[in-house]
Amino acid sequence: MNRVLTQRRLALAWAFIVCLLLGHNAWLWLDQRITPDTDILALLPLDKRDPVLQQSFTHMVDSAQQRVVVLVGAPDWQAAGRAADAYQRVLAPHGSVLAFDAIGEASQADWLASLQPHATLLVGGSQARQLQDEPARFWVDAALARLYNAFSGPKLGAFRDDPFGLFAGWAQERAGETPVRPRDGRLFVAGAGREYVLLTYTLQQSAFSLKAQDAAVPLLDGAADAARRAAPGADIISAGVVLHAAAAGRQASAEIHTIGVGSLAGIVLLTWLTFRSLRPIGLTLLAIGVGFLGALSVCWLLFGQIHLLTLVFGASLIGVAQDYGIYFLCHRLRADPALDSARLLRRLLPGLGLTLLAAVIGYMGLALTPFPGLRHMALFSALGLVFAWLTVVCWFPALISGSTLRAGPLARSYRHMVPHWPRLSSRPLSLVLGLALLALSIGGWSRLTTNDDIRSLQSSPAALVQDQIKLSKLLDAPSPVQYYLVRGDSSEQVLQREEALKKRLDPLIQAGHIAGYQALSNWVPSKQAQAARLALLESRLLAADGPLAMLARAIGEDPGWATTTAQHLRRHAAPMRVEDFLRSAAAEPWRHLWLGQVDDGAHKTHASIVALRGLRYASLPQLARAADGLAGVQWVDKVGGISALLGSYRATMGWVVLAAYAVVFAALLPRYRARTWRVLAPTALASVLTLALLGFSGQHLQLFHVLALMLLLGVGVDYGIFMQESAAHGDDAPWLAVALSAASTILSFGLLALSGTPALHAFGLTMLVGAALVWLLAPCFSVMKEMNHDSPVLA
Amino acid sequence: MKRILSILALALACASSLAAAEAPVAQIQAMLAKPEQLCGRFEQTKRLAGMKKPLASNGRFCVVAGKGVLWRTLKPFPDTLRLKRDEIVHLQGDRVAMRLDASQEPTVRMINGVLFSLLGGDLGQLGSLFEVDASVVKESWTVALKAKNAALARAVGAIVLEGGAYVRRIEMVEDSGDRTEIRFSDIKTGPGAILPEEAAQL
Repeated sequence: MNRVLTQRRLALAWAFIVCLLLGHNAWLWLDQRITPDTDILALLPLDKRDPVLQQSFTHMVDSAQQRVVVLVGAPDWQAAGRAADAYQRVLAPHGSVLAFDAIGEASQADWLASLQPHATLLVGGSQARQLQDEPARFWVDAALARLYNAFSGPKLGAFRDDPFGLFAGWAQERAGETPVRPRDGRLFVAGAGREYVLLTYTLQQSAFSLKAQDAAVPLLDGAADAARRAAPGADIISAGVVLHAAAAGRQASAEIHTIGVGSLAGIVLLTWLTFRSLRPIGLTLLAIGVGFLGALSVCWLLFGQIHLLTLVFGASLIGVAQDYGIYFLCHRLRADPALDSARLLRRLLPGLGLTLLAAVIGYMGLALTPFPGLRHMALFSALGLVFAWLTVVCWFPALISGSTLRAGPLARSYRHMVPHWPRLSSRPLSLVLGLALLALSIGGWSRLTTNDDIRSLQSSPAALVQDQIKLSKLLDAPSPVQYYLVRGDSSEQVLQREEALKKRLDPLIQAGHIAGYQALSNWVPSKQAQAARLALLESRLLAADGPLAMLARAIGEDPGWATTTAQHLRRHAAPMRVEDFLRSAAAEPWRHLWLGQVDDGAHKTHASIVALRGLRYASLPQLARAADGLAGVQWVDKVGGISALLGSYRATMGWVVLAAYAVVFAALLPRYRARTWRVLAPTALASVLTLALLGFSGQHLQLFHVLALMLLLGVGVDYGIFMQESAAHGDDAPWLAVALSAASTILSFGLLALSGTPALHAFGLTMLVGAALVWLLAPCFSVMKEMNHDSPVLA
Repeated sequence: MKRILSILALALACASSLAAAEAPVAQIQAMLAKPEQLCGRFEQTKRLAGMKKPLASNGRFCVVAGKGVLWRTLKPFPDTLRLKRDEIVHLQGDRVAMRLDASQEPTVRMINGVLFSLLGGDLGQLGSLFEVDASVVKESWTVALKAKNAALARAVGAIVLEGGAYVRRIEMVEDSGDRTEIRFSDIKTGPGAILPEEAAQL
């Protein structure tokens, strides 16, 4: 009686906690209206070791993340303009969602003015070389051509401001850094037989907020439709982080539905076929539901946010959380109806406790990774399991009595298969099969290759990726994830180091590895370079008998003109300072390249970015080498860096899995003694075979496969424990429990293998194959009482 | 930077722009001949800030519909500019002193479009860039262009065009103080207008 009382108290206490959970969840969803986070970057580790590097990355990414770039193109400029107008008209009333980045008229006018005082100092790279090499006559001819021809070349200001066209040449070189040009008050790009209007918008809310995605994406679609109506055949190319985030969000939402619903439907069907009662379904759902809500509540309290992928992953929790309920129900089905449920539970508790412990150990392996998203998933899943487990322990005995359940068709027919299942023995056939499996494993493992490239984890829709490629080709935009980080003690040192780097990059442009580079020192030479350039101009152009004097003679002006013009030029050679330039309108497109003074922890550092255009992936090694031996210059390849990190964690996680086996073994040893190996062997063997099969199927091993092996340990050990418990108690209920659990796990994780997110696909596939193998293998390692002396046969 | 070239480009293009005001523009449009080939002489005088003497040059020019423009300075020294749909080539003797093509400089097509339409007598597109003040007296017209865009105004200054059936005179006064005047004369149209060596170059 005392036991029943304890059980009742437990059930009431748990009811109280579940009420709290319900209240908290209702408050979160209905009152707070929480929305899951969809930032894929949350899955990536934070790099905190180098604040300057980190800041340079945020700098580059932030300037791009909130932007939506749209190219509206048509075969002719007028049609493109019409389409762009239609596009803008649709978005104009929605400035609070997407704000149009207007091109400033004023800044167009005075950007040149801000450079005029320094014009003489600004000489392009090719002309700087010509200054060294070409004779005086060359410069006289160049100046004469500029003088007499009406359209002889670009011209900025009066002739005497730039008689040799050096400033104009420099300006043209700068203009070459982007193909975008203003035209009729719009920005214009041409390419592939079309003329495009460039429109840029800034998203007013984070690109990763669902609200912003829901608001922006339909607007952009509507605007594109309007543009196509205005100019039939118009080509609309759009790119923006928000589009990728929205696509990922849509995919994850759809997957939550398919995986969650599919998993549930599978379990419902299985349960009904097994127990021929709706009550087990309700009870299983109850345990899962409490697990899910509990995990969500605690995670929200701990982190203040929940990632959509955590929920997707959490959907797979269903597959594991049901094990406890199923285990209890199967035993209830087989036990004497006269046996009191509370007493039955007490008998099952050691096995149940161990399964929870093993699964939590499995999930905690995930928590050891440095990925915040995975930690959330691990904690979410472990918590969900604990809540589901407690629900089973506290409530099930009260809700299920001995007479509730009857065996369904599935349970009956499955039971007949049990005695015929092959078992491990020392017979020759068994050994031969063992050797065959060994050979299979070795064959598969030898084919196993690894690929940790983060880009292979990208799952954006092909059309979006296509647009992105087309757009970056047309705009010739620099890579935001591969660049040089330049540091120095002062801005002057940074500029000098940039100039040293650029000397190495010029040959790489010649060789076609990159199309060009963007750097602040293109605009503001270091003081050292400014002085050197002025000296060069003095000796090569302005000298008393140099080209300027020769020009005066050629056009019949007196020597006084040459002197005055030389002085005029010298007056326009005011020293430039980065700080002044950055304040001018001309600097606007380049400000993001200058990190300025950065607090490096120990001391103040100045830093800048040299960005690369037209970068070829095959050229990355050459580009990385270009920074070798240059003081203060660091090659940054965020993509490569993350990929390398993923690789090292894949290796580390491999060891963590092995360690987890050891820990679980130690945890199980006190109960199972000499049989402990039989609990773990099916899972271990299944893992080995899964890897072999992955090798045969040509999959590249990556972190997410290894993470799945970790989880497989968690679930697989459940089945091992169930089977060993069955040996101890001599009944066949656990057979049914294993079959039901494994089938459901396969259903839920099998659906995860259908996920379009490569990481989840890899994870799901591993679980699918692994869980199926554990299911098939677990009985082979069980010891049946009646067969103990019987030398059971394998096959 | 991204603005520079277009400013330059427009500066060049508008060195000889025609423009469109409502009624007089239609009249001018009607007065202008639109021949397949148009060749003639030009005389250019530049008065540059800080220089005492004006700089005089002269030469020949040709506009061939569908082909391009050839601008040949003959004196004081030969110097040729060739504008086609997708490129601008500057020749000093036989040497290519400068070549800009549309793939590297997208505004080339724009500049050339404006120039073609101007010299070919097509007054379509300049209204969007310039405020146009046109007047017609008998057989002659005058058009004053003022760039709407401040940057463009700074680069090209004020432009005045005069003409009848053809453009006869262009004058540009830049803010910097440089002035350029171009007078056209001896204009011929029809198949024989272009010289064989010019046809070869174009």
